[in-house]
Amino acid sequence: MWKTDWRDDPAEGGPLYRILVLTATALVVGFAASFAAILFVDCVIWLNQVLLVSPRTRVQFDATSLIVPFATVAAPTAGGLIAGFLLHRYSREKRPLGPPDAIRAVQFQTPLPDMRSGLLSTAASVVSLGFGASVGQYGPMVYLGAMVGGAVSRLRLRMRNLPAIAIACGVAAAISTAFNAPVAGLVFAHEVVLRHYSTQAFAPTTIAAATGYVVANVLFERSPLFLVRFAGVDHSHEFLLFGLLGILAAGLAIAFMSAVLASARLAAKLPGPAALRPAAAGAMLGVTALWLPEILGIGQEMLRFTTIPGAFELTELPVLLVAKIVLTALCIGFGFAGGVFSPALLIGALFGAMFWSAATATTGVETSGVAVYAICGMMAVTSAVIGAPLTTILIVFELTRNYDITIAAMVAIVMSNLIAHRLFGRSLYDVQLAGRGIDMELGRDRARLDADRVENHCEGDFPKAGPGESAQEARRRLAGTGWHVAFVVDAEDRFLGMLDLSPDAGDTSGKWSDASVTVGDCMEVPTLRFDETTTVWRAVGQMDDGTVPVVHSQTGVLIGVVTQATLMRTYSDIVQELRREENAPL
Amino acid sequence: MPRSDPVIRKAVPVLVAAALLVVAVCAPPSAVGTEGTVRVVSWGGAYEAAQQRAIFGPFETATGTEVEVLVHDGGLEALETRAGPEGWDAVDLTEDQAIAACRAGLLRRLDHDAILEPVPGVTLERDFMPGSFRRCSVAQNAFAAVIAYNDDAFPGVKPKRVEDFFDLGGFPGGRAVERSPDAILEWALMAEGVPASQVYDLLSTDRGLRLAFRKLDEIRDAIVWWEDVAEPSEMLRRGQASMAAGYNGRFFAAARDEGAPIVIVWDGRIVGYEVWAIPAASPQPAAAEAFVRFATAPQNMARLAENIPYGPTRRSAMDRIGLEPEKRFAMRDHLPNAPRHGARALVRDSDWYASTAALRQRRFKSWLERQ
Repeated sequence: MWKTDWRDDPAEGGPLYRILVLTATALVVGFAASFAAILFVDCVIWLNQVLLVSPRTRVQFDATSLIVPFATVAAPTAGGLIAGFLLHRYSREKRPLGPPDAIRAVQFQTPLPDMRSGLLSTAASVVSLGFGASVGQYGPMVYLGAMVGGAVSRLRLRMRNLPAIAIACGVAAAISTAFNAPVAGLVFAHEVVLRHYSTQAFAPTTIAAATGYVVANVLFERSPLFLVRFAGVDHSHEFLLFGLLGILAAGLAIAFMSAVLASARLAAKLPGPAALRPAAAGAMLGVTALWLPEILGIGQEMLRFTTIPGAFELTELPVLLVAKIVLTALCIGFGFAGGVFSPALLIGALFGAMFWSAATATTGVETSGVAVYAICGMMAVTSAVIGAPLTTILIVFELTRNYDITIAAMVAIVMSNLIAHRLFGRSLYDVQLAGRGIDMELGRDRARLDADRVENHCEGDFPKAGPGESAQEARRRLAGTGWHVAFVVDAEDRFLGMLDLSPDAGDTSGKWSDASVTVGDCMEVPTLRFDETTTVWRAVGQMDDGTVPVVHSQTGVLIGVVTQATLMRTYSDIVQELRREENAPL
Repeated sequence: MPRSDPVIRKAVPVLVAAALLVVAVCAPPSAVGTEGTVRVVSWGGAYEAAQQRAIFGPFETATGTEVEVLVHDGGLEALETRAGPEGWDAVDLTEDQAIAACRAGLLRRLDHDAILEPVPGVTLERDFMPGSFRRCSVAQNAFAAVIAYNDDAFPGVKPKRVEDFFDLGGFPGGRAVERSPDAILEWALMAEGVPASQVYDLLSTDRGLRLAFRKLDEIRDAIVWWEDVAEPSEMLRRGQASMAAGYNGRFFAAARDEGAPIVIVWDGRIVGYEVWAIPAASPQPAAAEAFVRFATAPQNMARLAENIPYGPTRRSAMDRIGLEPEKRFAMRDHLPNAPRHGARALVRDSDWYASTAALRQRRFKSWLERQ
């Protein structure tokens, strides 16, 4: 019934065993991650109410009392203090964790950052969001899901791909629950985190996403997040407008992502302890919110208003747009724990509404109303930021439960994604990872080969010679080793050159037979040498044949040598491993 | 439903009789006030008539205490100025009014466990709908603010959705609306496409209020204002309005009792709770408590629902609702929570209502004055 083939690894147990393990993992991780996501969201909502972040509680206080303005400034500032304290005092990573950390762990089959840092990061995000910081909630929830899945790797279940799959399950369940969008959760886990679609990963991720859906809908009866009534696109020319909106949205997304990165660079240069930076950003946010209260928090209300024609004056929209970009960049860059997804939704929706207002006011072109433009803008910006067009299209579908809007948004999404990918990078996550030296841009194989360094694959046992030694003596001593070259190092083990060991190598002048000739006299200094930073990818590209020394770039010490045969084997192993992972059956 | 009807028909009188006996035996002697009269304040009209048949009359029979019924308009002012001098004992309020009055110290604190009549096998908390017990009140029935229309006014296409109330082109004619910001602002936002779950969030912002009043501007010239809850069905009947905003029980009663061609649009209904409360100034709180105990007993709640389609707040009462006493049709289909009424419904956030009453009133007044 279960035929075995080249992809099966005997060390992993039979197919039935794997099916059982994967199903159990999907169910357990799915349940746990979606409960965690619901708890997360409820904590944030509760804090928003108690701390007068949500308009629904703010309005219940007398307009003349000082309690609302006080809370407006004090809540984000205090939230910044607490988040900064949690992260910098107790977390080992000393920074908020998010989707890039999950992507990294899955792509390189490394463990996630330690559990304690993960929990503290989650707590800091609950505080950041609950106290009204202008950050997103989905990034932290993705990491929360990943962390739940990551716990599986502690069990010894004898499956090579299981840790990555378990993380993907956690992510899928968290997204499925948080957005009430199981299909989007499933696709997000594949498109952003796993970046392949093997059956082995697809089945459990789907189960986990469905589990998340069951928890959200059957157990907790959550309603879809963003229902929109929309009868359909009335005019065919509007699809051109959607495309144009997508192109412009790409520019906006790039501006937003650049602002986030620039703000982090600026923060790093500031004097004073890093733990206090979020509080500074919170204070600035709070003071701005006295004038623009809508800027606080996630901004569900503002998101809805963008779909109502005339809800904003034409002049209000750019102000809100710029304020949201600047303050979100400030909050994230200065170390509040939170994501970019929800702010991107809001920024895009404001932009879509602005685009529609401007288009109808200046050209008088016939349209089907503001709602579809707001949603196109919302998703076009978001898609460029998270680098996941397919996921975004499905999120539109599941959030609005509206087919016509999905078709319209699809056009804007791909245009935006195309431009942003070309001009900025696949996503903010990938650009952030690239900043940490992990380049995902050219594919998984390249990234994996680039993450592995040749120094890990050095031969430790190789012939050495001193420069003062007689060449003849050295060649005699090393004749039986089977090596064609010896490596010349000084007394401190610093690399000097290579000595050819072949019996008649280069002996044209008869120098070799002269006993007084030293190794130093006849060694060659190779032009190609690797150092401790050389990756397997680069080494494969540069190496022609033979053996290359790996020399420390600072000290000059010879770390080891790498042979072409070893390098090719390493290359083949990594590629083989990826092939196994991407084509794994159940 | 038809299957259970005969059972209920037989069961109701038995249950009622049994309950009356229980109440008569259990009612503490102190419940009978020295005067032998308890003053209950309600809303008049069809609602009061239903209460008379279902609650007040049976209470008098069961206890021998006379019920003197007074009428109020729900404002805090009446509680402040009239409750003391007129000796109010129990008062029928909407939940938000009770919350505001409780905060203002105009109502007595209620000890729900001591006052209310339990049913065997289930605790009071589980029998009543969640949130029924407030500091000074107990929820007694669920009503719905709904839109209704005169069937004769629209011989062709009938109004079906909240949006139609604001569509004078498609559905011409007057619009009967209460001179108050209650309900109409919610409908204005729903007509803008805001889902019920977000209506109060959006109305909490200045922008949301502005949008709601902007929507109201669209029907401004067609609005016929009413202040007494009995008026909207009257306005529909007399042709002063083709559509009206009002309460489901009143529209129901007008159609049932007077044969008025009134049809309710259940879409976008706003479900609120009616409560019993005891004014702080009550001269005989023990008698008032005995009355509240009787009025909220499951069989009496069910009997009220048979007379006017306001849904009981107790599960045990829900099961006992039978047929309308005269015309013998199942009342469950006419309750605000009947499943056939469609999905779009909003539950009024009573706390929010109580806390924002002044703000909404202020904005509403300035909108009225703006020309």
